Amino acid sequence: MALKMRYLELNRKVRDARMLAIQGIAEAGSGHPGASFSAAEIMGVLYFHKMKHRPSDPLWEERDYFINSKAHSAPGFYAVLSIAGYIDSKEIKTLRKLGSRLQGHPVRYSERQKNHSFPGIEYSGGSEGIGLSVSIGIALAKKRDGEKNRVYTLIGDGESNEGQIWEAAMAASKFRLDNLVAILDRNMIQQDGFTEEIMPLDPVRDKWAAFNWNVVEVNGHKIEQIIDALSRIEKVEDKPSIIIANTTKGKGIKHMANNPQWHGKAPPKKHVPILLEELQSEILIAPSIIAGEPENYEEKVRRAERAGADLIHLDIMDGKFVPTTSFFADTIKHLRKISSIPFDAHLMIEKPVNHVEDYIDAGCDIVTVHVEACNEMEFVEINKMLLKAGISPGIAINPGTPFPSWLIEHLDNIDVMIIMSVNPGFAGQKFIPESLDKMAGTVKILKSNNYKGFIEADGGIDATTLQQVFDAGARIMVAGNAVYGSPDINSNIIQLKHKANVAIETKLLELATINDMRSDWIKSRKNMLIPLARELGIEEDLHAIK
Amino acid sequence: MQLSDKNVISDMRSAYGKALVELGSDSNIVCVGADTTDSLKTKLFGDKFPNRLYNVGIAEANLVSIAAGLAIAGKVVFASTYAAFLPGRCLDQIRNAICYPFLDVKLVVSHAGLTVGPDGASHQQIEDISTMRTIPNMRVLVPSDSIAVKNLIPLMRHTPGPFFMRLARPSNSNIYEDNFDQFDIGKSNVIKDGSDITIIACGLMVSKGIDAAQTLEKEYGVSCRVIDMYSIKPIDVELVYRAAIDTGAIVTIEEHSIIGGLGSAVCEVTAENHPVPVNRMGVTDIFGESARETEIDALLSKYGLSSDHIVESVLKTRKKIKK
Repeated sequence: MALKMRYLELNRKVRDARMLAIQGIAEAGSGHPGASFSAAEIMGVLYFHKMKHRPSDPLWEERDYFINSKAHSAPGFYAVLSIAGYIDSKEIKTLRKLGSRLQGHPVRYSERQKNHSFPGIEYSGGSEGIGLSVSIGIALAKKRDGEKNRVYTLIGDGESNEGQIWEAAMAASKFRLDNLVAILDRNMIQQDGFTEEIMPLDPVRDKWAAFNWNVVEVNGHKIEQIIDALSRIEKVEDKPSIIIANTTKGKGIKHMANNPQWHGKAPPKKHVPILLEELQSEILIAPSIIAGEPENYEEKVRRAERAGADLIHLDIMDGKFVPTTSFFADTIKHLRKISSIPFDAHLMIEKPVNHVEDYIDAGCDIVTVHVEACNEMEFVEINKMLLKAGISPGIAINPGTPFPSWLIEHLDNIDVMIIMSVNPGFAGQKFIPESLDKMAGTVKILKSNNYKGFIEADGGIDATTLQQVFDAGARIMVAGNAVYGSPDINSNIIQLKHKANVAIETKLLELATINDMRSDWIKSRKNMLIPLARELGIEEDLHAIK
Repeated sequence: MQLSDKNVISDMRSAYGKALVELGSDSNIVCVGADTTDSLKTKLFGDKFPNRLYNVGIAEANLVSIAAGLAIAGKVVFASTYAAFLPGRCLDQIRNAICYPFLDVKLVVSHAGLTVGPDGASHQQIEDISTMRTIPNMRVLVPSDSIAVKNLIPLMRHTPGPFFMRLARPSNSNIYEDNFDQFDIGKSNVIKDGSDITIIACGLMVSKGIDAAQTLEKEYGVSCRVIDMYSIKPIDVELVYRAAIDTGAIVTIEEHSIIGGLGSAVCEVTAENHPVPVNRMGVTDIFGESARETEIDALLSKYGLSSDHIVESVLKTRKKIKK
């Protein structure tokens, strides 16, 4: 099933929301980074993709409703609303301050509250356990009136201590509210500590099922899983649905992740530049399934996904544009059925403009064509088709090809640029070191032209080259032999993720050093850095702190 | 003043149910109940408009919050159950889900005060006027008979925002003539004029005040003004002020704690504008108890809420007037 989510753009917007939220929290000196981050993908998917809503007409009658019941995620919520177009991003700096429209907990907009809210906020949250019942009221009115509006409600696992959640659970199924979707941000942490110590919620799935809800469980940081679940839910009749989104509180900033101390604490302002860099440094691992043993693609997809791959890279080779042949759209169509993990199709084919429709139909999420295989007119045609279908468009460039200047004016419509570090056509080639300079040069051009998309490194990426291409600007790593070249796919991916981690921490440490807060930074995430001490060369720093 | 001269007995709950049915031709009106729809007479509305009465079971927090959601979706919502639990059990939801966002939810509760009868103190809500009055945006109405109910329900419906209306369980003699219609939010009615002292009452206590005034006039020659203060928030500042100036002393009586209710609201007006002696009559910071339906008058009397007690209070309070 094609999810039509323009995956990479969505991914970027969620990242931007996290960046905006942390700036707001740091500026305010208080707020809840933990919940803002655990629910970032959930709120992002709703506002950037799923919900019917109009920032220019917030009271549009056909809109879907979002009720932020666990309103602690306010900074993240405001950030998402800002990126969606409801407020200017500069306003986030007023968060929690006197006279701000961005109150500590969001306030339902009305003429009376125009100085404490803005159009688009439907519900005044803050007191836990109420929002799901309020959502029932909205859904009930809409359903009885035969309206199509849907109601999405974000609830927390700490919030689920409140008895009213379970009053609501009974009522929603009594009223058969199939237009109501609750999303549980299952981050396992509440103010005093871990949920299962404070007030155990498990078996949470069974609880909701017993209340006669349709229950779906997803990884709440996987955009594609949330979207897939939301789409499936639309077909359920006569029952409310709940998505149990397994999340990590503080996801995105390593020392905040899964740490109850960061439930409601602001980072020091001086850390913000490093935190923003960290959020921009996330690395996506994209195993390329043509590597390793021939065929057996299904198994390769499954195992990579289970091991934590972010994308599946699909090398389409036609024997003409490149000397070898791999597989085509029919294979992808088949693979699509087994997983919702984003498919990153790299078309190494002649005349891609004639074939791109097949790859759209096959359920790809990212489709990249080569600059060498199309002229500007064809590129524009391809680009239009992809965007219309909700697919992230990409462009790939070979080591020997100079950057084509006609690309510049299309950068807004390009979500990823693959910079080849081998000449394409075979798996298992050696990384061309000169391609690093090329990548750095290309990134420079792109940055100066305000390119917002991703850089993807493809060709010979492994544990030895990953950090170099990361430093050159790549954030998506195509890994063929590095994942499938030896049988233990799980360890191979873990190894790459470890290298990615080292690359990121090295970069952040450099930034901290430049900003004259090296020891302060090391101190703030000491426990994360101890296992990497040797690789980062910070053994002495750590010793000094102890 | 068109006072009822015949002894017409009616109950406020039935008046509420009938008023709802009248409003029901507007499909925007919906009703939410909590396993008490028969008792609250909202069932009358449900029988006529089955698609617009929602019974959420014994779950008052849910009742109030679902009402808020219905209002967000554009409905005018009447939510009802017993006063002991609404607001007794869901102050937070009333505050945050309804009053803070100023939603069109009208909370109409019954069985307020001591006159619930046999159920005893757990069911005798004597703090609601106080708690509801203090929440920003909330308006508080306490009608004295079914004619007041009949008139105030449409007024609430057409006045945007949250309301709390408390009704008593027992039937009572009508204060007003059938066709009397002088009611407004923030107003009150002078039931009987007088110059020596003012009795300000609400709910079932209005008739006690009238009885006391008659006794005082006949037996003691004291001319009492009697006011039915059916709107406690906003309160009729003008009329309270005039009572203070004209009569020099006030006795308030309510089937509610003397803390925070009608008496307090009156004192707030007099203290700020024209301080005069005010005696607050009501439940004196204690819990009530059970009484059979035939013992309701004895119960009220035991807790100091009879017309005899009012007579006594008036005579004492008059002595405090500074000459």
